[in-house]
Amino acid sequence: MKNIVLKFLALFMLFTFTNVMANEHATTSAQTVSTHQEETYKSKSFSQMITGFLKSTGVVALIHPRPDELSATGKPMSDFSKGLGRIIMILITFLLFWLAIAKGFEPLLLLPIAFGGFLANIPIADIAGPHGFLGVIYQAGLSNELFPIIIFMGVGAMTDFGPLLSNPKTALLGGAAQFGIFGTLVGAMVLAQMGLVDFTLKQASAISIIGGADGPTSIFIATKLAPELLGAIAVASYSYMAMVPIIQPPIMKALTTEAERKIKMTTLRHVSRLEKLVFPIVVLSLAILVLPESTPLIGAFMFGNFLKESGVVERLNDTLQNALINIVTIFLGLGVGSKLAADQFLVPETLFIMALGIIAFGVGTAAGVLMAKLMNLFPGHKINPLIGSAGVSAVPMAARVSNKVGMEYDRTNMLLMHAMGPNVAGVIGSAVAAGVLISLFQ
Amino acid sequence: METNLIVEGFKFMGLGMGTVFVFLIIMILVMQSMAKIIDRFFPEPQAADIPAAKKDNKTIIAAITAAIKHHREG
Repeated sequence: MKNIVLKFLALFMLFTFTNVMANEHATTSAQTVSTHQEETYKSKSFSQMITGFLKSTGVVALIHPRPDELSATGKPMSDFSKGLGRIIMILITFLLFWLAIAKGFEPLLLLPIAFGGFLANIPIADIAGPHGFLGVIYQAGLSNELFPIIIFMGVGAMTDFGPLLSNPKTALLGGAAQFGIFGTLVGAMVLAQMGLVDFTLKQASAISIIGGADGPTSIFIATKLAPELLGAIAVASYSYMAMVPIIQPPIMKALTTEAERKIKMTTLRHVSRLEKLVFPIVVLSLAILVLPESTPLIGAFMFGNFLKESGVVERLNDTLQNALINIVTIFLGLGVGSKLAADQFLVPETLFIMALGIIAFGVGTAAGVLMAKLMNLFPGHKINPLIGSAGVSAVPMAARVSNKVGMEYDRTNMLLMHAMGPNVAGVIGSAVAAGVLISLFQ
Repeated sequence: METNLIVEGFKFMGLGMGTVFVFLIIMILVMQSMAKIIDRFFPEPQAADIPAAKKDNKTIIAAITAAIKHHREG
């Protein structure tokens, strides 16, 4: 017993001794560090320290911008975009918060975008710069168009092609709505020709894709053709998508008669599982043959859909639809937000982009409705022109709007599933249109 | 030579809308023929189940009528 106690004491002493030794060693090394620091750190008086610190506050940086501060892209900025511009942009992001939270405008994307914009307009910290975390996110997944592609996979996994397969000719409505894209392109060119704005063909193409009403496609094209306009294009695209229930119904009602709005469509036939399984492969093969430039978007979309329809990879399907798309949405939003810096967003072009964007939406909606009326001139099952407006992609918002307007005139007329056909065809259509635009600039 | 941007825009429109429609029309034709082929050569097992169920109904009805007849006669 005594032996054990003695051994224990000895051990204890040994430990204390080594600890003291280690501590002594640590203090000596700390001393060398502090003397080293004193070499580079010049002692200042306390008042000098205070003024030095005050100069590094945000208040001073906003009122008296530092002359040497560079924009996120490494270019010199005007004093306006370093000071007042930033304050205006921060107020704009607050407006976006309000739209997202109080008005429910696409909050899933608008909130990350707006908060990213808030962060991007902080002076000195340079969060959107190449070494700030927003800049890193942008470099990681937006400048190389990775995030929109991943979003497309998720959207593919959420899409059901059943309604389109059971009534294939409604795909034409999804095609007609792409008129919004090219109509806007002409509109932007008219503005440029008149000398109002200085849009190049590439920039005009990137803006016009807003008319496709497809967020990921817009971001994909904008980063490829005109990254300097990405912020404005993404904000326009997502805020107008959220405003589909406000923009579309007046146009739909203006172009149709009451009798047309009451047309009842024949019930959809049952689509076999094999058809749904083969369809993604068939469309992708078509895209490969006709327009390989569109295959990054269509390929990702069909990959997601194929996983879903295969029915054997429920886990992957679930991840694509939920976890993955949510994670990427956060990064995509923040990355787009990094482009809301004052020096890039507060330019006259932004106003024109916003104006052209809403025209694009309107033209696309009108073209879809008119196409449905045109198709009704031919023999065959009649189409309710209200589903034409769903040809602008905006899944499933546009289809819901068709359904809602239809119900206003006939409580028993359920158009939702009929409108999903042109809706998903619109996604394919805008991916094809995007492919055409990319191929034109190769 | 200065390019007329409006003319360029219309050229883009022609090519773009043309491609979109050609693509979708081919897609429609493929969808229609695909539906026919699949319906003809690989019909859904469910579709085969339904007539079988009808057959069962018929045998059940036959059995019931037979039972009623037997009951009345007996």
